[in-house]
Amino acid sequence: MRLKIILTLSVLAGAILAWNLHRIFLQVPDEASQGAIFRIIYFHVPAAITSFTGFYIAMFSGVGYLISKDLRLDSIAASINEVSLAFALITICTGSIWGRIIWGIWWTWDARLTSYFVCLLIYFGYFMLRRAIDDPTARARLSAVLSIFACVDIVLVWKSIEWFRTQHPGPVLEIRGGGGMAPGMEAPLWWNFLAFLMLAAALILIRTRQEGMRREIDALRRYANAF
Amino acid sequence: MSPQNFTFMFYGFTAAWLIIIVYVISIALREKKLRQELDRVKRMVEENEQAKK
Amino acid sequence: MRFLRQTLAIAAKDLRSEIRGKEAVNASVSFALVILLLFSFAFDLEPEQVRNISGGLLWLVFALAGTLILNRSFARELVNDCLDALLASPISGAQLFFGKCLANYVLIVIVECISLPVFVIFYNVVPQRLALLFLVMLLGTWGITVIGTMFSAMTVNLRLRELMLPTLIYPMLIPALIGAIELSRVLITGAPLAESLFWFRVLVAFNVIFTILSLALVDIVLVG
Repeated sequence: MRLKIILTLSVLAGAILAWNLHRIFLQVPDEASQGAIFRIIYFHVPAAITSFTGFYIAMFSGVGYLISKDLRLDSIAASINEVSLAFALITICTGSIWGRIIWGIWWTWDARLTSYFVCLLIYFGYFMLRRAIDDPTARARLSAVLSIFACVDIVLVWKSIEWFRTQHPGPVLEIRGGGGMAPGMEAPLWWNFLAFLMLAAALILIRTRQEGMRREIDALRRYANAF
Repeated sequence: MSPQNFTFMFYGFTAAWLIIIVYVISIALREKKLRQELDRVKRMVEENEQAKK
Repeated sequence: MRFLRQTLAIAAKDLRSEIRGKEAVNASVSFALVILLLFSFAFDLEPEQVRNISGGLLWLVFALAGTLILNRSFARELVNDCLDALLASPISGAQLFFGKCLANYVLIVIVECISLPVFVIFYNVVPQRLALLFLVMLLGTWGITVIGTMFSAMTVNLRLRELMLPTLIYPMLIPALIGAIELSRVLITGAPLAESLFWFRVLVAFNVIFTILSLALVDIVLVG
């Protein structure tokens, strides 16, 4: 049953992405000032929104663990965070490549790229913490608390870096361009977002099942060693 | 439209797809490793049961 | 009232133990001096440039040196199972945490008060509005202390404690550090303060939010 859900999600996601690619390359006209490169937005922005959505849902899953003490919720939280981290990596890489064309440099301390990098660092720390703890309940507990802190902090980090870059101006990634995206241009963005969400859901389901297997292995090992 | 513009657009899309593919491969490898370990531990438990009988 | 009294008892215990031993403060001050020395080699600057980066320099020194004190905060209780004894005692986890926060705060402020004059002498930078700079130091240090003590509680039982604590807290501290750095820079260079008042609000908001969050969650971290 589960396998069928995973397969359906993946195939649907793949189909939407493929159809969208066709639209992006052939139907959407080039943007006036940026040229062809702006099409990266169709991967950059959906990946960004997917990853942020993931981090916040994972936080609620962690809170759910703290309330119910059900380790499955911890597995779900860890899986969601891992998949969101992968999408955050996509966001940074595509943003950096976009910047290479627009500003001529691979990296700049633009508000969004910097905030994303901080987010990446915080969640690398999350996974480092998980690896360093052997006891599953302690690991679940501390990961949940860390993800609460992380999610509250990300908002503050975003706002403060944005304000910092307003005072010390750097290059600005004009994503919405003042709300002036032509009508034909915006739709593929949301379709890609849907596709990414489905892909993320499929990956999360697979990862959660793997975490369940890991717990089963630990339990069997404890059982085997107990006698 | 400068050719460099197009090239980098393809680099961008390639980077995104590459990250997804690498991640999916790493998940698949982890799955294989976990299954092997699960089978091994299950066999170990069965052997213990047999030995006790 | 009892909350405060018991909290202060914990803080006094930590401070007394540190003042008698002086290990963490000595190490922290030495580290701060070493960093100041290294930065003098790392950048070759005109006096005007130095004043512009003074805020950043100062707070990097404070943050890095402060971590040494924060690390020891809960780690010192592991010996002889003192942490278990404290958790089994009638005080709540929040009181234990807040007491240690206060003690760490005092210690880090001491380190900062020693480092600041050294910084002024080494880099030839005289802060114009010392009282306000001191206020910024107090606000920023509380942010570092609260997050640092909380994560010290989280990482107390880990093998790689000394490595994990800095890795976890520095990304979290960025709003507080940016705020403190900006305000310090403005105060040291003598620029008009009005446009930087936003950063005061950021610092205060950061401190309030994370103090409340930490007090709420520390029991879960320490006890389960």
